[in-house]
Order: sequence, then structure tokens, then C-alpha cells
Amino acid sequence: MAFWIIAALLTFAGCLAVLLPVVGNRSAVTRDADHDLSVYQDQLSELDRDLDRGTIDEREAAEARAEIGRRILKLSAEEQRSVSAGRFGKVAATIAVLLVPLASWGVYSMTGSPELSGQPLQARLSKNPAESTIDELVARAEAHLAANPQDGRGWEVLAPIYYRVGRFSESVTAWRNAITLNGQDADRELGLADSLTAASGGVIIADAREAYERALELDPANLKAQFALAAALSQEGRDDDAAVALRTMLEQLPNDSPWQDVVRRALATISGDDSNLIAGDDQSAMIENMVAGLDQRLREQPQDPAGWQRLVHSYTVLGRIADASDALARGIDALGADSEAGKELAAFAAERGVGVKE
Amino acid sequence: MIIELGHFALVLAFALALVQFVLPLMGTRLGDPRLMAVANPVTLVGFALVAVSFAALTSAYIQSDFSVVNVWENSHSAKPMLYKVTGVWGNHEGSMLLWVLILSLFGAMVALFGRNLPDTLRSNVLSIQGLVGAAFLLFILVTSNPFTRLSPAPLEGRDLNPVLQDIGLAIHPPLLYLGYVGFSVCFSFAVAALIEGRIDAAWARWVRPWTLAAWLFLTGGIAMGSYWAYYELGWGGWWFWDPVENASFLPWLSGTALLHSAIVMEKRSALKIWTLLLAILTFSLSLLGTFLVRSGVLTSVHAFATDPSRGVFILMLLILFIGGSLALFALRASSLTQGGLFHPVSREGSLVLNNLFLTTATATVLLGTLYPLLVEAVTGEKISVGAPFFNLTFIPLIVPLLIAVPFGPLLAWKRGDVYAVSQRLFAAFGGALLVALLGYFLIDGTGVLAAFGMGLAAWLMLGALTDLALKAGIGNVSLSVAWRRFRGLPRSVFGTALAHFGLGVTVLGIAAVTSLDIERVMVMRPGDTMSVAGYTLKFDTIAPQRGPNFTEDRAHFTYMDAAARVQGEIISSKRLYTARQMPTTEAGISTIWFSQLYVSIGDATSDGGIVVRVWWKPMVLLIWLGGVVMMGGGVVSLLDRRLRVGAPARRKEKAAPAGVAAR
Repeated sequence: MAFWIIAALLTFAGCLAVLLPVVGNRSAVTRDADHDLSVYQDQLSELDRDLDRGTIDEREAAEARAEIGRRILKLSAEEQRSVSAGRFGKVAATIAVLLVPLASWGVYSMTGSPELSGQPLQARLSKNPAESTIDELVARAEAHLAANPQDGRGWEVLAPIYYRVGRFSESVTAWRNAITLNGQDADRELGLADSLTAASGGVIIADAREAYERALELDPANLKAQFALAAALSQEGRDDDAAVALRTMLEQLPNDSPWQDVVRRALATISGDDSNLIAGDDQSAMIENMVAGLDQRLREQPQDPAGWQRLVHSYTVLGRIADASDALARGIDALGADSEAGKELAAFAAERGVGVKE
Repeated sequence: MIIELGHFALVLAFALALVQFVLPLMGTRLGDPRLMAVANPVTLVGFALVAVSFAALTSAYIQSDFSVVNVWENSHSAKPMLYKVTGVWGNHEGSMLLWVLILSLFGAMVALFGRNLPDTLRSNVLSIQGLVGAAFLLFILVTSNPFTRLSPAPLEGRDLNPVLQDIGLAIHPPLLYLGYVGFSVCFSFAVAALIEGRIDAAWARWVRPWTLAAWLFLTGGIAMGSYWAYYELGWGGWWFWDPVENASFLPWLSGTALLHSAIVMEKRSALKIWTLLLAILTFSLSLLGTFLVRSGVLTSVHAFATDPSRGVFILMLLILFIGGSLALFALRASSLTQGGLFHPVSREGSLVLNNLFLTTATATVLLGTLYPLLVEAVTGEKISVGAPFFNLTFIPLIVPLLIAVPFGPLLAWKRGDVYAVSQRLFAAFGGALLVALLGYFLIDGTGVLAAFGMGLAAWLMLGALTDLALKAGIGNVSLSVAWRRFRGLPRSVFGTALAHFGLGVTVLGIAAVTSLDIERVMVMRPGDTMSVAGYTLKFDTIAPQRGPNFTEDRAHFTYMDAAARVQGEIISSKRLYTARQMPTTEAGISTIWFSQLYVSIGDATSDGGIVVRVWWKPMVLLIWLGGVVMMGGGVVSLLDRRLRVGAPARRKEKAAPAGVAAR
């Protein structure tokens, strides 16, 4: 409401600026010749000053005086054009006064967004958490941690949230900070390892494997770590070792454990023909899910060179070459074919045998 | 709400600019004083509205309001406050808004300080300013609206290009725009005179201060931009003949010509038509500069072709203003009366010579700047016209002009005597010759050209001093009389001398740096030393540091003189701006009198060292100090009290002619 009132006042001021001079009784106007005359007189007095100062001599001064005199004479011969406040002027001014509000409100209604209020960052971060979106909560936590980077508990709270919203590399950093500040424990190492795996699109990279190993060391009975390490062996192509590890795991599992099914299925896959998919349905569904999440995120926030590389890599690992090629095309499109990041992405994909379809 | 008010104020300003164009022009055509009277209040209110709009955008930047697309694209909450504010004009949309703000500021100044202009002239001038303002406001609203909103708003911005996060670039664009846009006033005066078909005596008097004001800001803007490129890009160069630099240099060259021809016009009523043409050309070159920089045509003609909305719009503006004003010039110039006559050898003649050289130099630079674009547009081939072209064409054109500079102010109006002037300049010539010889024989590494450059610089400086000494009558009259005369000299005489002296200072800096600078490149490890120009530079440490929105590797150097005494320290760093993942170099510079030791660090080598580039830049500061002196000359000249022409008393029409002007 306040906006409309102030906008109306501004418009009113604009109209007044047009209206007031027109309604005022103003027939006074300066003659052009008078202005010229005052300039010439100024020049004459300056000539006298120059003569006093000695910068010009008497002969030059006389000559210049004669010239200025000639100009003054020419002036009086000039006719002053007549001045009158005609009817036509009044019509034009009326149109102008009407045009100001019409044009401004007309154009603004096309270009403006009067319904949107200002959203200063500080105000957004300090409003009631219950009304905030998850992104705002994360931003607030980030602001807090930027100011207090030594707050280990803060990092520990933020890390799984990052993981859940799909910001895996930030989740990795948060877990690392939590481990540095709060010390090692199995859950933190496990969180780090999961984030690392998710960040590389479901592939258990060396860093992740080491983190799983540390978690297992801290908690030798940890089933998740055991299973992940077996999966890692299979990913490296050591299916026999993986099968041994899974069998050992199975032997130690109590009969009512929910892991029973998972491990059995994984074992079946390894010993079956399908060597590509090592994990059971659950695991592969999880991986597919994660990749789909990454894909979705990149559609929304395409300025992420590392993300695109991860996506292309994940699709290649999953054997979905067409999707990989599609992701590559979208990535190059988003990053720009001529940009450094775009070229890097193309090279990265070419190493994995992925090219853009024609 | 503030943002939307800013947006609305901008739209309203556009509507008022249309009124400002139409009504006063109609008033002067119909002879209706009430319509002419609209010009002043509308101009002032229009300026206030653009100022409100600019303030609103600034407040959005200060508060990191990412619901504004422009703020989101160019700001970041972690950015230091100073760069949040300067980020307002560190991007296309905001800088166009600044352009219009300055345009309307100049319009408001004409309205406020132009009371002693004839009513018809002032109305016409403000009308043309209104037209320029309306065109650019339309451009902003249609193609580059800084108030476009984004909902839902993102939580973090994308940060300003780190190269632009620098105090030099904070000041440079406003100064440059004050210069560019200042010439719009001269342009409006010229078009107004063409519309009227009459050049008043007041016209010439008033165009000169506006030209001077625009010129001095442009000088400052170019000097600042050059210094920024020198220390921020880390290449140690101070002028690259880059199209963006040329875009600002072109209006400076023709503006300098305009400044000089306006003197002839004011004093002698001669060169009227030529001055009009120069005023039109200078602003046209300012517009062209804006077009080149803003349309994306410089990066590639093809980049322009893929997103042509802005470029095509500016191109149409160029055609409207340049084509329109030149067409008007062709139609009306013949109806203007010719002014006083003069002998070829005279002050007027020397100023014509100055104009010939400056306009030819302008044409040369213009050709060198546009030629690659034309070639790329026609053949698709990318060529670059660089320093060699300009060194071969621009320098031979400008050196004779520089040699002629000291003669100009000493020649008499109408009829001059070159031999008498040469005799008076004998001392200056001797001094210059001495400097050249001393430079050649005493300083290591000077070639003939460097010695010539130093001699030329001395010639310009001594010539300027000679002018002052002769005008004061030193040598002819007793010292006390000379002192009195010296103090009584008009300020414009000091302005001229100061500006020409500053030119000499710049030439000295350029001559010294281009011929005597030393460059060393070396891989250094902490503890290593290298010697350059009699100093020993020691690399102490390198350590990571955190800034508000960047991380950096900061290298610490100390340098010692020949006797191994520590003279000072230099810090040079490599920064990584985290939001954009963009690296920059921050050169470390230590100033020793007018010379500088310039240290820039490069990449780390595999064995733990880093590549260190060191330059010794003798007298380099003089290049920009000369610019400051030139600006000083402009300011002194602008303060000349004779420029305050008295206004005649306003009176009722048909009253008895009084004829006498009131001061």
C-alpha cells in the first residue's frame, strides 16, 4: 500500500513540474541580443584589463575594440523574434500533463513487479526458522559456521543435511571438519565415506574405501562398513574376494537381521552373469536414485563443472551411455562450449569414451 | 518496496524526459515562453527521479537483496562493503544507469547555472538533453533493466568479477562517464545552435567551460583506467592500445581539439562551423565508445550477432544521434554566419594546426580500432591491430604537434610573427637540447629516441614556463612589476601553461619507461635474492591468507640498496576468489620517488619455487601525474572569473530597451 501512495506522490510531483510553468503568467523573456551585448561588453572590459596588464599593446587593443564594436553594431540590426503564448501551447501542455501518469503507470505495469517486497539477506536469515525453507536454514547454518568455523557440533549437524539435499561435496567438507574438530568415530567416518561415494556418483573411490576401513576399525561389528568394503572389492573387479567377504559377513549375521536379504542378493549377483551390477536391488536403486538426484540438481543449477563430470562418469559406470552422452551435451551447453570448464568436460568425457551424439 | 520505487522512478523519469524533449522545443519554435519555461523544472525533477532510482539500486546492493537479478549476478554477501557499492556500476545494467544519472546531472546543472543563457538557447539545449536522456532510459527499460526481479530469491550471489574488485575501478567509470556524458552538453549546444540557425556570443562562452569540465574528467578517467590496468592486470604495461582504451581515448583527442577551437570561437568568433562539427563528433565518439564497450562487439562480431538485442538498440541510437545531428549540420551549417578573418600565422592559425593534427590522429586511432571489426564482419577472419600500427601512425602524427605546442600560446591573435616567437623560445630550446644531450650521455641505456623524448618533454615544460615568464614581462620590467603582473595574469593563462606543462610531464614518463625499463623473470625460493636496477630483492616467505571473499598466497619481499641497507618491503600475492573460482594476481609495487619497483608472482614450479617477475619502471608515475597536472590546468582555467558572464536583466516584453547589462 505504501508503495502505491509514494508512487502516486512521485507522479504528482512529475505532473506539477510540467503544469506549474504553464499555468503561471509568464510573458517575460530575455532578448537574445541583450545576452550577446553583455558578452561583448565583458570582452571590452577584459580588453582594458589586458592593456593595463601589458599583455597586449595599444595598437592590438584598438584593433580588437574596433572589431567588437562592429559586432555590437551588427546586433542592433537584428530583429527580435516575436513571443506569444498561443493556444496550441496550452493544448500541448495539457497532453504532456496527461502523458506523464499514463506513460509511467503504463510502462511500469508491464515491467515492474509491485507485489514483490524487498528481501535483504540479513532479514531473510533472521526470520523465524519455522517459516524458513530448508535452503534458508542451510544458509543460516553456513553463515553461523563461517563466523564460528571451530563449532564441531554445527558441522556434524549440517553434514547429513547437505547429504540429504544432494550437496555431496559440501557434505564431504562438513564431515571432514566434524572429524577434525570432534575426533574420529565410526558414525562420522561412515558419513564421510557415504558422502564421498555419493559425490562420485556411487563409485567407491580410494578415499571413501579408506574411510570405511577406519569406520570398521573403530567399530568392527559395523555391517554397513563391511558391506561397502565388499562392494568396493567387486567394483575393482575382485569378485571372488568380494564373495568371500560377503560370505563371512553372512555367517556372522543373526537370522533375523534385515541385512540377510541384502547380502544374499548381492552374493547372487556377483556369482551370476551380471558382473556390472554388484549390489543388490536396494543398493542399485539407491545408486540410480542418487544419480537421478544429481541429474535433477544440475538441471536446476547447471553452473557446476565438477557436477557435470560426476554425472557423465556415473552414467558411464552404470552403463547408460546414451544418458551419459545426453548429460555431456547438456553440460557443454550450460558451461559454454568455448569456456575452460566446457572444454575440460568434453576432454573428461572423451577419456571415458563418451561423445556428443550428432 | 524501495526497489520497486526505484524502478517506478526510472519509468517516470523516462516519461518526463519525453516531455523535456517535446515541450521546450515546441516552445522555441512557436515562440511560447510558457512552454520554454517547462524545461527547467522538468529537468530538475527528472534528475531527482533518476537519483532516487540509482539510490534504490545501491541500497539493494548494500543489503544483498538477491531478489534483484542484477544484484544476484554481480554481488555476494561476503564482499566488502566498498565493493558492494562499486558493484552497482561494475556491470552493464548498473553502469548504464550511472550513465543516465550523470547525463541528467549535467542537464540539471545547465538548468541551474544556465540562467544567464538566452531563454531560447537554454530551452533548446535542455530539449536535446531530454532526447538523449529519453533514448537511453528507453534502452535501459527495454534491454537492460537493472530492476528485474527474481522469485524465489537465491541465497547467495555470484559475486562481482574479482578483477573489478579494486579501488581503481571503483573511481574510474564514474570519472570516465562524467567525461563522456559531459560532452553531451556541448553536443546539445551545437544541435541547439543548428536548430536556431544562429550562434549567440554567449554560445561560445558557455560551450568552452562545459568542454573543459568534460575534458578534465575524461583526462582523469583515462589516467585512472591506465593506472588500474598497470597495477591490477600484473603485466606491467600502462597502455595497450586495446579497443576499450581507444574508445575512451578517441573522444579525448577530439575533445582536446574542441577545447582549442572553442577558444578561437570565443575570442574571435571564427571557426564557428568547425567548432559545431567538432562538438557533434566528440559526443558521437563518446557514444561510439559506449557502443563498442557495451554491445559485446569487441569480444567478437559473432558474440554480438548471437545476442543482438542490446547491440542493435545502441546501433539505432548511434544512427539516430550521429546521423541525425550530421544531417542537421549539413542542412543548416550554411545558414550560419562566418566569423572574423585571420592570417595563417597567428594564434588562430596555430589552433587550426592543432585541430588538424588532433583530428587526423583521432581518425588514425578510429581506423585502427574499427578495422579489425570490419574485417571480421566481412571475411570472418580475426585480425588484431596492435601497438605496432599505432606506434607507426599515431606517434609520427603527435610528435610534430608536441613540438609546435610551445609556439601556440606565444603567437598573437590575428597576425603573428613566428621568428619573434622563436627568438623568445630560444632559452627553452637550449634547455631542451641540454636535457636531451645529458640524457644521451649520462644515463646508461638511452638511445637516440629516448634522448629525443626527454628533450621533447623538457621543451614542453620549459615552453610552458616561458609563456608564463613572458606574459609577466620578466626580463623587460623590474622584478617587482613582473611579480605584480604575474599575479594579475588571468587564470586561463595559468590553466594553459599548467596543462601544457602536464603534457610534458607525461611525455617524460613515457620516454623514460619505454626506453629504460628493466624486466627480470626468475624462479625463486624463499631466501633467494635477485638484483635489479641497483637494488637487491630478497624473497622472504610465502604463506596462505584468507580475505573476506578470497584466499591468497601472499609472498613477502624486502629490497635493499647497494650498501645492503633495507629500503622497504613489497607484498605480492595470487588470489583465488572463491565464489567464481577465479584467480587474480595482485602486483606488489614500491614507489621510489617517481619510479616504481613492480613485483608480480606467477605459478609455482614443481620443485617448490615460484616464478617471480620484477620490473624496474623509471619515472613511471610521471605518466599519470602529468594527467593530474593537466586536470589541474583544466580546473584553474575553469575557475577563471571572466567566464562568469553577466546576465541581462529579465524584463517584460515590449518594455523600453535598456541595453545595459547588469553584472
